[in-house]
Amino acid sequence: MSRLIATRAIRGAHKLVARAEKELKQEIEEKGPQTKVEFPNTGYYLPISYGILGLKIETIGGLNELLEEAKKLLPPIPDEKLWLPFLGHTLDAGMATLFADEIIEAIKYTQDPLPYLSEPNPRDEHLWLGAANDVILRERGIEFVDGTAPGFAVCVGYCPTNEIAVKIARELQEKNLYVFMAAATEGKSMAQQLQEEGIQMGWETRLVPYGDDVTACIHSLGFSTRVALSFGGAQPGDYRKILHYNKNRVFAFILALGPVDDEKHAQAAGAINYGFPTIADTDIDQILPTGICTYEHVVSPVSHDKIVSKAIEVRGLKITITKVPIPVPFGPAFQGERIRKEDMCVEMAGQTKPGFEYLTTKKLDEVEDGKIEVIGPEIDEIEEGSKIPLAIWIEVAGREMQPDFEPILERQIHDFINCTNGVFHMGQRDINWVRISKEAKQKGFKFKHFGSILHAKLHGEYGKIFDKVQIKIFTQEKDILDLIGTARKVYKKRDERLADMTDESTDTYYSCTLCQSFAPNHVCIITPERSGLCGAYNWLDGKAAYNINPTGPNQPVKKGKVIDAVKGQWQDVNEFIYNNSHKTLEIFNAYSIIEHPMTSCGCFECICCVLPSTNGVMIVFRDYIGMTPVGMKFSTLAGMVGGGAQTPGFIGHSKQYIGSAKFISANGGAKRIVWMDRALKEEMEPVIRKIGNQEGIENFFDMIADDTNAVTEEEVLEYITKKNHLALSLPALF
Amino acid sequence: MKTIAISGKGGTGKTTVAILIIRWLSEHVSKSLLAVDADPSVNLNDLLGVELKETVGSIREEMRTLASSLPGGMTKQRFLEYKIQSSLVETPDFDLLAMGRPEGLGCYCYANNLLRDILGTLKTNYEYIIIDNEAGMEHLSRHNVQNIDFLLIISDLSVRSIQTAGKISRLLKELETRVQEKYLILNRVQGSVPQSAKKVIKDEGLRLFCSIPDDENLLKMDQKGKPIWHFLSDSPAYQAADQFMMKLMNFKRE
Repeated sequence: MSRLIATRAIRGAHKLVARAEKELKQEIEEKGPQTKVEFPNTGYYLPISYGILGLKIETIGGLNELLEEAKKLLPPIPDEKLWLPFLGHTLDAGMATLFADEIIEAIKYTQDPLPYLSEPNPRDEHLWLGAANDVILRERGIEFVDGTAPGFAVCVGYCPTNEIAVKIARELQEKNLYVFMAAATEGKSMAQQLQEEGIQMGWETRLVPYGDDVTACIHSLGFSTRVALSFGGAQPGDYRKILHYNKNRVFAFILALGPVDDEKHAQAAGAINYGFPTIADTDIDQILPTGICTYEHVVSPVSHDKIVSKAIEVRGLKITITKVPIPVPFGPAFQGERIRKEDMCVEMAGQTKPGFEYLTTKKLDEVEDGKIEVIGPEIDEIEEGSKIPLAIWIEVAGREMQPDFEPILERQIHDFINCTNGVFHMGQRDINWVRISKEAKQKGFKFKHFGSILHAKLHGEYGKIFDKVQIKIFTQEKDILDLIGTARKVYKKRDERLADMTDESTDTYYSCTLCQSFAPNHVCIITPERSGLCGAYNWLDGKAAYNINPTGPNQPVKKGKVIDAVKGQWQDVNEFIYNNSHKTLEIFNAYSIIEHPMTSCGCFECICCVLPSTNGVMIVFRDYIGMTPVGMKFSTLAGMVGGGAQTPGFIGHSKQYIGSAKFISANGGAKRIVWMDRALKEEMEPVIRKIGNQEGIENFFDMIADDTNAVTEEEVLEYITKKNHLALSLPALF
Repeated sequence: MKTIAISGKGGTGKTTVAILIIRWLSEHVSKSLLAVDADPSVNLNDLLGVELKETVGSIREEMRTLASSLPGGMTKQRFLEYKIQSSLVETPDFDLLAMGRPEGLGCYCYANNLLRDILGTLKTNYEYIIIDNEAGMEHLSRHNVQNIDFLLIISDLSVRSIQTAGKISRLLKELETRVQEKYLILNRVQGSVPQSAKKVIKDEGLRLFCSIPDDENLLKMDQKGKPIWHFLSDSPAYQAADQFMMKLMNFKRE
């Protein structure tokens, strides 16, 4: 980090601590140490000292103890030549600043007349409100916990014009954020600017003027400290928990507007302790490397039209849109609605016009969240009953976004758009087809609403993995033909990447413990070449699910040291299995059906088990209700294999796994398959033929017995002997 | 959504009756009609005078051959959905879906499972579904048409075709299909229905709903495979259909 910014923050802290010391000394001399201090109608003493240090300060004399703590934390001011300060020193200086702030603000409450109006809203000439009382805390603080308000912006200083001040305030309000205003610069503050413009302020409008002194900033951190104490279950003095709670739950940041002096730098350093970053409109030194805050700590200079979205991005705040803003009803009930030709206003892409849907990742500064463009004619500029081309081009950006997530998000276009009443959507990629009904057009539905739907729904369901999304809707053939090649190249690359991924090509697998509710000791390990046994989750799905919900049932599992490459055993995977199977499983082989095979919950698509006399295995799909050669029907087998216990000779797996190069590869692989139920065999025919070709066996498909020619193990043996099945010549399974 | 299924022995003119009904509904009740050609041996579309693109059967075969390499990276469900939706023939008066050829050798359980779902959803978009079935009602059972509001069994005066009508009526009990109302319609009747036929009808446990007079003009076009849609207005058969549809639909002419 920059030496300059640390120096300024430390210098500011020294100034504020000195000021606190001077004012406190004067106050004690004037009023005596026994004079009571409190923030009126609050139950947390002075919240910073109570929360962070566990101090119960009730008198002016008691403030001395806080002053001592502040002095202890103060690092020396960096010498110009001698040493480089580190983030640790800056953080200490910041904390000392917060203590000094609290001393100065507490003293204000002993003055007569009181400099603050102790009411929820400004009245007459009284603008500044000071510390919020406990009624406000209970009413408003809960909003930070239940998500009604994601957090707050502390606006420090003033804007170049009143108009800009109003614009920033409105933009913050739109995002449901509280706007806390404090610290005038050169006698000017944003709250005064809003006042001049006749904007209604107070807790009700979420525009809260705290005080014009720089130390009044403390009331915002005091408020969030009290939120952690009253709603977060943090104990007084448990500073770690209070700071973590704020970092993780309260999405707050500081907007430094106008010139930033040493004291204000010190406030920023104090806020970093809470995980709250500072975004400045002037060119001050930045603190970019992440460590305490989620991302950057101090970012500047940011223009006024970008400052709110930049702050949201830096703080890692996620936007949620609860209602899809379109003029027609929206919901899953409308999926599967066909728009008949007679009711149709326009048909897009489909069999007669070109079209495609594409989602790609961009850099954060290249995407403006919520921007929707229609390039080409809108719905009211075309004739009723026309057929026109359509491309939906989505650009997302996010700190957690990865190209692997693109197809997962892109696939959702179909489901999202289909929820619209009066809109019909089919297909994906460059096979897309849309119809809009006359009724929907009458109600005001426009092409741009595709963008509104996608913006709202993508944020709602995938907001964890990206931050911003903008959408372009193309309705002219020329543009679409220009772009379709780019999209097609990417489609091809994606398909190849998925097909090419091997277990060796990654060092991380994903777990799935979704089914532990009924199979408490079962853990699925999903690898690129072994999808979840239910067939619903492949490795990419697991990865995306983890990013959407980092504490959910899909966790990354590092492979760690290879214990056995052939059987598929890794040290860290074993450890993960042990810890997550409630210490019931110690060893697990991904590629073996004989030794320590993977367990099953009960959701398997298929069950594979050894038919000992044939030296091979059989596979039965869950829909097959007849008898199998092992002497059990699927339901009986399922009872044996499921439930999270290792059953040597039996595994549950997905259909997809049959075609994997890692299919029981420790035991000879797919060549061992001697029996399948007919339906499964038919469905998997292309896959089985491919396996045969790879093994150089021309009629492998015909070598495999099925329920039309064998239902007992003897019959299977007879059948495969006749066909001279490869399994017979393989080494013995046991 | 109301479902009208039409069945009967081959050659009794059941497709002609299906067209009479489609025409009548589109003229008097609604254009939200889905005609389903579920008899691969007769081509409903030819008689309706529309051209068929693809059938459910041909789409199912295409999916089976493409299997693991479906276009656009689509899942089987999404691919089938897209293809079925685009195979619909759309006219101002009705939409047409053709079931096509029945399955070949091998197992179709998986594809049929998906189809059941897709067709089930598709049907909810129409006010009336008119299904022209083969006598065996294979498609009904395969694709789980669970509710039929009216089953119209068509027969001519021959003993054999009345017996087939009886068989169809009994077969329904074995299928998992609920039929609200079931009627026998006699087609190509010259004059009145002879006593001998009435006796067979009674023996088979059937209830005669109405009869349609012999209509030479239509029969000729039917035999030549020419569309009859536009030549119905003056035909005696259509007038008979008007009578029984009014009765069936509880329809009052203003």
